[in-house]
Amino acid sequence: MTTQFEPKIVSFLCNWCSYAGADLAGTSRISYPQNIRIIRVPCSGRIDPLFVVKAFLDGADGVMVLGCHPGDCHYQQGNYYAQRRYAIMHKLLEFTGVEFERLYVDWVSASEGKRFATVVTRFTDQIRELGPLKLNENNKYLKEKLPEVAL
Amino acid sequence: MTKMNKQIRAAAEKYLKDSIVSCVIGYEEDSRGRIRPAFIEDAKDADRLIWNATCNLNLVNYLHQRKLSPGKDQPVPKTAVLVRPCDVRSINLLISEQQIKRENIKLIGITCPGTEINGQPRTICQFCMERTPVDWDVLIDSDQPIEIPSAEDIYEDIKEMENWTPAERLAYWQKEFDNCIRCYACRLACPGCYCYECVSEQVDPHWTSIALDVPEKMFFHVMRAYHLAGRCVGCDACEAACPMNIPLSRLNRKVAREILEMFNYKTGDDPEEAPLLACFDPHERLRT
Repeated sequence: MTTQFEPKIVSFLCNWCSYAGADLAGTSRISYPQNIRIIRVPCSGRIDPLFVVKAFLDGADGVMVLGCHPGDCHYQQGNYYAQRRYAIMHKLLEFTGVEFERLYVDWVSASEGKRFATVVTRFTDQIRELGPLKLNENNKYLKEKLPEVAL
Repeated sequence: MTKMNKQIRAAAEKYLKDSIVSCVIGYEEDSRGRIRPAFIEDAKDADRLIWNATCNLNLVNYLHQRKLSPGKDQPVPKTAVLVRPCDVRSINLLISEQQIKRENIKLIGITCPGTEINGQPRTICQFCMERTPVDWDVLIDSDQPIEIPSAEDIYEDIKEMENWTPAERLAYWQKEFDNCIRCYACRLACPGCYCYECVSEQVDPHWTSIALDVPEKMFFHVMRAYHLAGRCVGCDACEAACPMNIPLSRLNRKVAREILEMFNYKTGDDPEEAPLLACFDPHERLRT
């Protein structure tokens, strides 16, 4: 029996919009995939794009960054800064060999519980199709020098 | 002695004699006939200065050692630097980031025929379309004829890599990063890398370990490319400094190209402009 590949997805949700949106999805009893690990942050501008790189290198198969719609940021401008940063980081990650589809940046408001569920479901299906990200596969030091460490 | 060297020495001598600056940063020849940076503080030493095609450092990097006042109530030292067109863009970058003040710097600019490494013309210089600096105090014309390439082939190697599959690109970069020995020569050679504490050495938060694993090295290089987004001037001092010949300029040029396409922004055009990632336009909708 072959088991289906279950992707690990790290999602950074802004406290004021997307996290509340995820909460609404929960209280409205809309189901969405359990593959996402939610990290609550104050604002999408708080998420250093290096968090995303680190998540990928530490074994995430996909990363979602969700924030308030442009113009709706609790701190007025955080999502505008985030938008510029991710536009660049996305291209850089794609160039270094992480598929463009593995990072998803979008805006989800507190009232969009249904949309949150849709977005997460779509993204999870997408990653499941792509398969696991093998950033650590060529890590010869880990394989050769630390054989006794159970991986 | 070439006409160019004569002019460089004359300019340096004048600045030091008139006490306009206290130090001129340029190049000199070492005992083995290679070039090294020279810090001239006396007018009579000015005839040590030279320029030739092997001068591929970014001397603006050394301004970081002279950007602070040496003591209470003492002025920031004034410095003259020998700069190529790409180095002048670093000057503008540092001014826009409030690191240096233009009035403390004198620029001895040169029109650049391109530099070489190991006897070969450098790739970045073959692609360079800017041969006259955007700013200077003294401009010295090159002895050699200057050939400017056509615009189409500047990003040829980047475009080729973009046509590869993601797996191929990942394999390529993992192979290249595997060579990295984490000596941080790229960081030291870069005028844009001036943080007192680099993310790669920070302990709290502990971003990355000091291990020589490929993921750690990949993190360092991706981090560096991202931190230079909108700040890299393309002088390629990092790649020239790299002892393992990692093609670092490909990462930086890829980011620079995307930024040029997305924001029509080129680093170092205007010293008054805010840094790209420190501002935003509320009307822009980018593909993130």
